[in-house]
Amino acid sequence: MTVLIIIGALFAILLLGVPVSFALGGLGLALLLLGGFSPLMAPQAILSTLDGFILLAVPLFLLMSNVLLKGGVGSDLFAAVQAWVGHWPGGLAVATILSCGIFAAISGSSVATAATIGTVAIPEMLNRGYERRFVFGLLAAGGTLGILIPPSIPMIVYGFVTEESVIALFLAGIGPGLALLTFFILFSMGYAAFRGMGRSDPSSWSERRRVSVRALPSVALAALVLGVIYTGAATPTESAAIGFAAALIITGPILRTLTWKGFREAAIESMATTAVILLIVAGAKVFGKAIALYRIPQEVSMFIGQVIDTPLAFIVIVALILLVMGLVFEALSMVLIMTPVLLPAAQGLGIDPIWFGIFMVIMVECALITPPVGLNLYVIQAVARVRLGEVAWGVLPFLALMFVTVAVLYVWTDLALFIPFKL
Amino acid sequence: MLALLMRSFELFVTALAWLASAIFVLAGIMLTFEVIARYFFTAPTIWAAELSQICLIWGTLIAMAWCLRERRHVRIDALTARLSPLGRLVAEIAAMVTVAAFSGIVVWYGWEIFWDSFQRGRTTGSMLDLPTWISELAVPFGFSVLFIQALIEVTRVARGELTAGNAARE
Repeated sequence: MTVLIIIGALFAILLLGVPVSFALGGLGLALLLLGGFSPLMAPQAILSTLDGFILLAVPLFLLMSNVLLKGGVGSDLFAAVQAWVGHWPGGLAVATILSCGIFAAISGSSVATAATIGTVAIPEMLNRGYERRFVFGLLAAGGTLGILIPPSIPMIVYGFVTEESVIALFLAGIGPGLALLTFFILFSMGYAAFRGMGRSDPSSWSERRRVSVRALPSVALAALVLGVIYTGAATPTESAAIGFAAALIITGPILRTLTWKGFREAAIESMATTAVILLIVAGAKVFGKAIALYRIPQEVSMFIGQVIDTPLAFIVIVALILLVMGLVFEALSMVLIMTPVLLPAAQGLGIDPIWFGIFMVIMVECALITPPVGLNLYVIQAVARVRLGEVAWGVLPFLALMFVTVAVLYVWTDLALFIPFKL
Repeated sequence: MLALLMRSFELFVTALAWLASAIFVLAGIMLTFEVIARYFFTAPTIWAAELSQICLIWGTLIAMAWCLRERRHVRIDALTARLSPLGRLVAEIAAMVTVAAFSGIVVWYGWEIFWDSFQRGRTTGSMLDLPTWISELAVPFGFSVLFIQALIEVTRVARGELTAGNAARE
């Protein structure tokens, strides 16, 4: 009963339009006061959240990707990849997906990835006679790679709330990320060949060399950040700092594309996103403390234990719940609200917490592009200035591919767990 | 007089946002220095990790009010977007009052934590052994500014200055 009242209250406050962070924090605080627990726990939970060294990676990764963005790295990347694969069947689509994949290794957000590559790729593809729906669907789905291929902000947050290793999560994201990338590319090539969509002319070798040289520093930077994390030479937070410093060097003295104005915009954008994200995490921590004192996670986990006895049934039900939540919530809120409640039950069924994190990230991303409502759909709609319906239809085949990836991941858990634990 | 106060507060909140941006950049510089010092000079610092953590605490908490004013906070507009203009107005006022109430209570208890540490001279017990109130003060400070900003938002909304762009951001 208490569970239902709390869920009802949470939804009421959220639907009223209270920012997610303060809605979670406020309800948590109210529960503390009503239950006769010390309200000092609220400011303490906020402080202990912001005192987490791993969360310091959030502003630094954001600074790194925003600096690169303002330095025009998005269009450089796309131009370079296109020069190599543009003349393949569906070449522009392949170039778009690959650019999303590479940019994903620089940025930790799906929205930023979709928006950055979309701005350059959409006009290019439409000019070449690609079907509108296909183009929009491709971009919305390509953005997904942003949070699956490390660095990934949702993974940092998942690692923080579950106290699991963020490094393991980052590494576990690589396999499914590459699988998804491959599926998207194969589908695009098949679809484009089947529909006879235009190819671009093969670029000359001198052109290829010219654009590759421009894109090379950013690709090297992505490799550097991943390499540093993988070898353990520095913590994720420190590698984010190095990445930020390197981004400044690349866009400053090397490419000479970053202006003072661009740098200021990058700084204020990163600051705003950081504050917003970390406050949601802090609010969720207050809420999580409160519901733990009401024994909600235990009760839910016991209830699930009575009703569901196989991991498969559990995973399917969690997937459905997330899809429904995706109608109104954005990624981070879903991860933060659901993880503390679901992870105990998942572990009770013998599901690996790192695997569950990767599963959550993919499912949350599915939820974000599932019509009729999804954050990434809006982003593409805004970038391309088209009707939501067109984006929503186009995304369906890609959504199907994502579900296939989740199914593969379920049957073959090593797709995620091989790189972090067995390599 | 009131207008002048409001205008000064607006500038103050904007200044805090710029300060927060600068603080995050500073944290990045300190940690880069730390890695360079450790690997190239084999001389790890004792201050970089701790000071950059304080940057994160202060930076986030002083940026809250600006984010509220600029409607940057992630919120769910699935329902409110479908309301009539009057309904939206009422919902927006209720939302801002909720934010004000929450921040008011957090200021109260956050101050208690800060004051207790301040009087007892509690320290972090880490290498730098800084007083804990340095980071604890950020809570009552940041939430006081947020509290005032939320009240200002109530008056702005009530006077019909409803900012339309409350799109969700990641």
